[in-house]
Amino acid sequence: MTEGDLDILYTQLCTAMTGLGEANASLFLARFALLAIARIDDAAAARGLIADAAEQLSRAPA
Amino acid sequence: MHSERAPTAGLAVNFAAYPFAWARHPAALPPMSGGIERQRHPVAIVGAGPVGLCVALGLASHGVRSVLIEADDSVSTGSRAICISRRSLEIIARLGALEGYLRIGLPWSGGRSFYRGAEVLRFTMPQDENQRLPPMLNLAQYHIEQILLDHAEQLAEMIDLRWQTKLEGIEPLIDGARLRLATPLGNYRLDADWLVAADGGRSTVRESLGLAMHGTSYEGRYVIVDILLDSKRPTERLAYFDPPCNPGSTVLVHRQPQNVWRIDYQLRDGEDADAALEPRNVMPRVASVLDMMGERGSWSPIWITLYKANALTLDRYRHGRALLAGDAAHLVPIFGVRGVNSGIDDADNLAWKLACVAKGQASARLLDSYSDERVAAARENLAYGAKSTEFMAPPSFAFALMRNAVLGLAVKHACVRSLINPRQTSPIAYTDSPLNRALDSSREFAEGPPPGAPLPECPLTIAGGWAGAEPRPGHVTELLGPRFTLFQFGETLGIPGELQHLERTLNARGVPFAVVPLLRSRAAGGPLLHAWDHTGRLFPMYGAAADTLYLVRPDGHVLARWRRTSAASVAAAIDQVMNCRGTQGAVHD
Repeated sequence: MTEGDLDILYTQLCTAMTGLGEANASLFLARFALLAIARIDDAAAARGLIADAAEQLSRAPA
Repeated sequence: MHSERAPTAGLAVNFAAYPFAWARHPAALPPMSGGIERQRHPVAIVGAGPVGLCVALGLASHGVRSVLIEADDSVSTGSRAICISRRSLEIIARLGALEGYLRIGLPWSGGRSFYRGAEVLRFTMPQDENQRLPPMLNLAQYHIEQILLDHAEQLAEMIDLRWQTKLEGIEPLIDGARLRLATPLGNYRLDADWLVAADGGRSTVRESLGLAMHGTSYEGRYVIVDILLDSKRPTERLAYFDPPCNPGSTVLVHRQPQNVWRIDYQLRDGEDADAALEPRNVMPRVASVLDMMGERGSWSPIWITLYKANALTLDRYRHGRALLAGDAAHLVPIFGVRGVNSGIDDADNLAWKLACVAKGQASARLLDSYSDERVAAARENLAYGAKSTEFMAPPSFAFALMRNAVLGLAVKHACVRSLINPRQTSPIAYTDSPLNRALDSSREFAEGPPPGAPLPECPLTIAGGWAGAEPRPGHVTELLGPRFTLFQFGETLGIPGELQHLERTLNARGVPFAVVPLLRSRAAGGPLLHAWDHTGRLFPMYGAAADTLYLVRPDGHVLARWRRTSAASVAAAIDQVMNCRGTQGAVHD
């Protein structure tokens, strides 16, 4: 995947979420996370990503 | 669109003035008969901003006179364009005005982005040992215009400047346009064969023609503040997302010459714009930005403006005898600095085509290719500009949420950092242009610019050009001129007889054309303009061998290229441009 692909996918994700509305955003991202975990198909890698995603939040102010 | 707050007397806040002396220019009336100027003009340009001035200078370089109509009495003021791209500098160099830019402007090549306290991105624009010009140069729009104006004033016999002359209406003529103009000395009408609208975002010409731009207007608002501050900080683009000094906001900082600094900060949703523009509210926010940056020196505000991003364009830039350029034709967001730079590119594309048509050398259909090429360029600029804007001024909760995710992850995870890159303006290739020729023979090249692409820069040694000229270090783009240029790659200096003949034939017809030999190594040469590849990088960069030919348009875009060909196919390529045959794009010859 190129930087250009990442850029396009980022915008598609934003646009999809905008269309679903803020109330649906958490559920949409949760579903995406589950599908991504299944597709990654690597328990250790997925565990690492869960930790990375949480780590930033624990350090940031509310 | 901007709503501006100029310095106002009686405020507690002391404003400084821009470090620039505006010359005021008087209005003048031409010789008239019956309220109509006696002289008919080949080209009338409305708007003496950067775009109008570049069109006038470009036409003059091709030997075409123009009259330049400007409502104001001086070059512009206020916080407008400040970043001139390498591509624009290349164009300005061809117009003969580069020296002033390099003398005043501040070159830069990259920047840094911060999220909360941490640096999350360090970006650089393309810069290597092959370049002649910096990727970006900062200088204020009054300088951008003044340098072009100084040059235009030296060409007074070619460029007729009419200050304090306001366009009030347009009456179509069968073969041109009649402009209704108002000046403090009285009103008059003026006839011109061709009309160029370079009169900005609120274009009177566009309105008179009943044309509307289409696209997206963004809600996110930025306050733009120019300040005077003595600082030794380097020239770079600084972006602060959610900074400690301005939580929830985004701040951009750019250095300009003469201690002027540009600070842009985003307003929160629901913030009252009028209140936000009041100096008593602007001062503490700017002070907190400077404090965060560690700037302790004294400073004063110069100019305060509100900005909302637009991404709009007309569908066509040619409407009969009227041609629209710059902000009159399209409005691109400021993020990525494509505004003035795309306008200068418009001017460069338009000038040679309009000159060829005005001189009767080319069919008026050539001007449709101006529209085709520059509308395509605007759409590319708008796509990048929209991406930049979605990051800098998120248009929905989703874009804001995802941006925060990117910024937070970017501190540690390099894989998402490219999403923060500000996507600064870069040269655009006219890949699908109807003018591109010899596409089959272009496919035989493994390297180098295909038809439609601008020339990649490369150092070389330039020799000849006039009697007694000494060899001198230079770059490939310096060999361009107001003409079609045929670069003939080879080992020896001679130009084949049939190409010499073609040069004479075209020049006799008034079509500007020159063959310029590019040699692998130094050859004993006379006054003939040529160059050699002293670094050994030029030939591989262009995928060239002996007998390779690149035919380049006056605006520096490749028209066609061949591994080897006859003078007849070069002549045919130029003829097809002039007659605009085969406007469906893929012409194989």
